[in-house]
Amino acid sequence: MTPRAPVAERYTRLEMMFVAAAREMAGRGVIFVGMSYPLLAATLAKLHHDPDLHFCTEQGIIDWRPPADLERAPVQVSDPILNIGAAFLGDSVDALGSLLMGGGTDLAILPAAQVDRFGNGNTIAIGDYNRPVRWLGGIGGNMDAACLAKAVMFLVPHERRRFMQRVDFITSPGYIDGPGARRRAGLDPQGANLIVTTLGILRFDTPDGGITGSCEAFLDTIYPGVTVEEFQANTGWPVRISPDLNVLEPPSQEEIDLLRRLDPTHVHLRERGDV
Amino acid sequence: MRQEHPSKVMSAAEAVAEFVHDGDILYYGHGNCYIPHALVYEAIRQRKSRLDIVGGTPGTQLQQLLFHAGCADRTRTGSLSGLRGSGGQSRVWELVEQGKLRFDDYSNQTLALMFMAAALGIPFIPTRAFLGTDFLKDEYINHPRGFLGQDKLRLIADPFTGQPVVALPALRPNVALWHAQRADEEGNIQAWGAYADGRWGIWAAERVVISVEEIVPTEVVRSDPNRTILPAYKVSAVVHEPFGSFPGELPGYYNQDPALVRLGAGRLDDYLAEWVYGRSDHQDFMEHYVERFGYHRLRGLLPRRRVQPTGSVDYGVRAIAAHEAQEEGKE
Repeated sequence: MTPRAPVAERYTRLEMMFVAAAREMAGRGVIFVGMSYPLLAATLAKLHHDPDLHFCTEQGIIDWRPPADLERAPVQVSDPILNIGAAFLGDSVDALGSLLMGGGTDLAILPAAQVDRFGNGNTIAIGDYNRPVRWLGGIGGNMDAACLAKAVMFLVPHERRRFMQRVDFITSPGYIDGPGARRRAGLDPQGANLIVTTLGILRFDTPDGGITGSCEAFLDTIYPGVTVEEFQANTGWPVRISPDLNVLEPPSQEEIDLLRRLDPTHVHLRERGDV
Repeated sequence: MRQEHPSKVMSAAEAVAEFVHDGDILYYGHGNCYIPHALVYEAIRQRKSRLDIVGGTPGTQLQQLLFHAGCADRTRTGSLSGLRGSGGQSRVWELVEQGKLRFDDYSNQTLALMFMAAALGIPFIPTRAFLGTDFLKDEYINHPRGFLGQDKLRLIADPFTGQPVVALPALRPNVALWHAQRADEEGNIQAWGAYADGRWGIWAAERVVISVEEIVPTEVVRSDPNRTILPAYKVSAVVHEPFGSFPGELPGYYNQDPALVRLGAGRLDDYLAEWVYGRSDHQDFMEHYVERFGYHRLRGLLPRRRVQPTGSVDYGVRAIAAHEAQEEGKE
């Protein structure tokens, strides 16, 4: 057995979300990296865990290999830094069409303002779409990836207002309203989906991508120092807890150092109200 | 010698005056890359009106300026990004509340497909995006702030399998404005980088005006034809406009200046006065930029090192031998 890497002495829960997400990406093949948090998490995964990940973004970048002298993670999905070391540069019909619609995306990593107990995401409006309290940035390619990727990982800071019984508006379908719903809507089964938060990792009770099982999110893994009570208090539905609840290994000093080095100006590593 | 193809080179002012019409459906690029700031600033100076802005994620600064200046009153997009919010923080919110801006939501994929359909001359194109979303509910298709209603999309049965699928109408922009690295005078456009929906946005449009960093001899284009993103017959005008995408970015030429690209609602009037109406053209814009912020700031946005392909490709043929073989085959 390899000796365990030294554990980081200090880290934030937001940093823990990136560390956990990067670990979850290892071995997941062709990944579709959405805007915002996913860019930093996927860069960490590529550099630290799995150099074979195919890092793709919707502008037409397929299989980005970060250059050896990489100074920072991409800030946007169109960041020109992604042009350096990419295996393929094309357009949105290549990335969101031939790759995504063609069934080549093993895992899409996406942000969302709200997620719910069936793993649906909302990126368009808080409140009723026709009378919103607040509008969000819009769809981008979030809907496209949620409809068409083979599996989805949402990255969402864990706050009660974001973790809902039912999102205000489904822009990005997960299991919609339960077993069989994806198929009825005309979508393929999807999974294993997961939501990585600042408190833990939610997985879904379905063995076959949404055909059977309750399709509800359950708490599978909790971070060191977080209690189940705290997790529940910040979740807007009575969340089921795995009988084999895992506690995640704390981040290594190396993971935290690399994460911070990849975001020197705190573009990603700051709390945001609107993502 | 007869000139095979006449030059399409003209100034930004001439090209915008001739090819951008009031009421046009306008495509002008995606994100902050290849965004034709010079051409769109000129359209604002010329007080174009009733434009309908289309594209997955049209450059955010230009969206705000076009809406705020009263040049555009409609949009179909995957992103009013950074422009939304709620009262007081978002100009888009205010304009929509006042009924001065109507919108319909699509996505990066669906708009790219709609442009591709128009480019291919097919009436609609199916996708499985939108399935399972709340967008398909009647009250959200016929939403009070939209303008397309049932013409936005249709949920149909795949005629072969009966499975649900979404039909998207082809979308043909009346005019596309875009900025690329280089072109020849004939109008063959060469670009490199990740185009997002740029390739299909410009292929789909009725009229196409492209500004470029460099005008090169046609031999340069023809020595590397795979780099051509749009052939001359599709192009209405070419504008030689160095830094024409600035304060946005262009691979190999410059990065964006986020301080200018990201404008809060409160800065729109000042920005328009200083950087658009107050400037005669884009060269004036760049001179003002350097005057205002110093050359060192611009220098900081230029590439620090060149990244060029290490392996060259060979387009060579054995033309005569092939011809002879063909002749032999006839006998």
